[in-house]
Amino acid sequence: MKRGSIFGRLALGLIVVGLVGAVVLLVFVAFEYGLSFGAGPGSLTFGEVMNEVGDHVVVPLLVLMLPLAFAVPWVIQTSLRPLKDAAAQIELAQTADRGFRVNADDFPAEALGFAEAVNGLLGRLDETASRQEAFAADVAHELRTPLAILALELERLDGETAARLKRDVTNMSRLVEQLLVLAQLDAQAAARVPTQDVALADVAASIVSHFAPLAMDEEKEIALEAGDGATVSGRPEVISAALRNLVENALRVTPPHGTVTVLVGPGAILRVRDGGPGMSHQALKDYRQRLHRGDHSSRSGAGLGLAIVSRIMEAHGGTLRTDPDRTELVLEFGRSA
Amino acid sequence: MSTMRLLLIEDNERLGGLIRDGLTKDGLAVDWQQTLEDGEATLEAAAFDLVLLDLGLPDGDGLDLIRRLRRACDTIPILVLTARGGLSDRITGLDAGADDYLVKPFDITELSARCRALLRRPVQGLTPVLSVGKLTFDTSTRQAAYDDTLIELSRREAGLLEVLMRRAGAVLTKQALEEAVYDFNEPVTPNAVEVAISRLRRRLDDAGVKDLLHNVRGIGYMLKAKRG
Repeated sequence: MKRGSIFGRLALGLIVVGLVGAVVLLVFVAFEYGLSFGAGPGSLTFGEVMNEVGDHVVVPLLVLMLPLAFAVPWVIQTSLRPLKDAAAQIELAQTADRGFRVNADDFPAEALGFAEAVNGLLGRLDETASRQEAFAADVAHELRTPLAILALELERLDGETAARLKRDVTNMSRLVEQLLVLAQLDAQAAARVPTQDVALADVAASIVSHFAPLAMDEEKEIALEAGDGATVSGRPEVISAALRNLVENALRVTPPHGTVTVLVGPGAILRVRDGGPGMSHQALKDYRQRLHRGDHSSRSGAGLGLAIVSRIMEAHGGTLRTDPDRTELVLEFGRSA
Repeated sequence: MSTMRLLLIEDNERLGGLIRDGLTKDGLAVDWQQTLEDGEATLEAAAFDLVLLDLGLPDGDGLDLIRRLRRACDTIPILVLTARGGLSDRITGLDAGADDYLVKPFDITELSARCRALLRRPVQGLTPVLSVGKLTFDTSTRQAAYDDTLIELSRREAGLLEVLMRRAGAVLTKQALEEAVYDFNEPVTPNAVEVAISRLRRRLDDAGVKDLLHNVRGIGYMLKAKRG
C-alpha cells in the first residue's frame, strides 16, 4: 500500500490548480480574441492572434510559474517543518524516563491534538507503572510481616522440625524478593524511572560481604577479585538482585570446602565462578525459557532466579551467559541501560 | 546489666512484641510504640540510644520521621526495619539519613548485632565486655581473654580486635580496619592492616583460639564463631 503524504497532496493540488487556471485563462483569452476578430473590420489572422496570445499571456504565465515551481516545494516544506519537529519531540517520549511529557508549546495548532493524545497515553503508562510498584510494595509488606513473625516465633523453638521450618521461611522470603524484582522490572518496562551510575565493584563487594558469613556456616569460601572498576547505568538494587541470585546459585552447587569467586571486569562484566560442575548452554537456555513458559516448577529453586537474572540483564541492555569450562556464569552489561 | 535504651516503632502487635521480647532477653531496654505520633512524642520525652523504625506505619511513612529528626540535627542512630527491601526505598531510607536497614524477615541475633554495631557512643552502665564464643574483650580495661586466660595484645592489636568484635559476624573492609589502626601514633604502611591482622592471628592461635578470625579474600576480615 502506498502511504499518502501531505507534501505530495499539496504539491499535486497546487500543480492541478495552476494548470487548470492556465487553461481557463487561455480559453478565456481565446474567447475574447475570437469575439474581436469576428466583429471588427481590421481583423487579425489566426496566426497573428496566436502570436499576440503567446506574447501577452503564455510568456507571462511561464514567467510566473517557473519561480512558483521552485517556491512551492520550499513553502510546503517550511510550513510542514513544525509538524516534523513535533514528531521528533514525540519520538523522545519513546526513551524518556517516567514523568516525561511532550512539550507542546512550540507546536502548530494542527499538531496539538497529537501531543495531547501522546501525553494522555504517557500518563496512563506512568500510572500503570506506579500502581504496579505500589502493589508490589503492598504485597511485600503483607507477606513479609507475617514471615517475620513466623521467623521470630520459630527462633524460640529448637529441634529438627523447627530447623526445617526455618529453611522454609528463608525460601519463601527469597521467593517474595524475586517476585518483587519481577514486579519492578515490569513497571520499569512500562515506564522507565531515572537510572544512576552503578560501580560494579561496589555491588560485588557488598554482595560478597553479605554472603561471607553464610558461606562460612556451610564451610565454603567466598572471595572477590575486583579488576578495573567499570560503571554501568542502571538501578543498583536491581543489579544487586541479579548478582545475589547468581551467588546464591553458586553457593548451592558448590560442595563444602569449595570456593565461590565473584570477579569484576574486564569492562562492564560480573562473573561468578563456582565449585560445581558448570552449567551447559542448553541448561541455561532451558532455565531462561522457564519464565516465558510460565513454568515455575523447579526442584533446585534455580529456575525462577536465573530467568529473572536474564530479564534484569535484558533491561540493562546486557546478557546472562554461561562459561561451562570455567564453571562461570557471566553478567555482561551493555553500554547503557 | 545494660541500660542501652532503644525505641521500637512498629505497628504490628505480634511482631513488635516478639522483637521487644527478643531484644530484652539480649539485655537491651526496649520501649515500644505503635504509631509515628506516639513514637515522636516518646522521643521528645526521654533519651534513647537507638531508634528501630518500621517504615509503613498507620499514621504515615517512617521516612518522614527520619527526615524530620535529621533536619533538626538529631544524630540518634536509626535502624530501619523494612518489608520493602529489593525496592528502591532501601536506598531512600539511607538517603533520608537512616544508619542501617534490615529487611524483614530477620532473626533476633542479627537484629541485636546490628543494634550493638550502631551504638556509636559509650553508654553509661552498658556491659563493657564484648564476647564471641569464649573470646572476650573488656572495652574499659582493653584486655582480651580466652576461656578466662588473658591474651597479651599491643594497642594496635587490641584496637583491631575491638572493632572486629563489635561487628562480629559481619565482614569488615580493609579500609574500615585501617581507620581502626590509624588512631595510634605509629606510621601506617600500605599493608599495615595485613601485618596487624597476622600478628593478632598469631596471638589468638597461641592462646588456643581457632577458627575465629577469617580472611574474606578481596574484601577484608571477619570475626565469627562456627555455627552450632
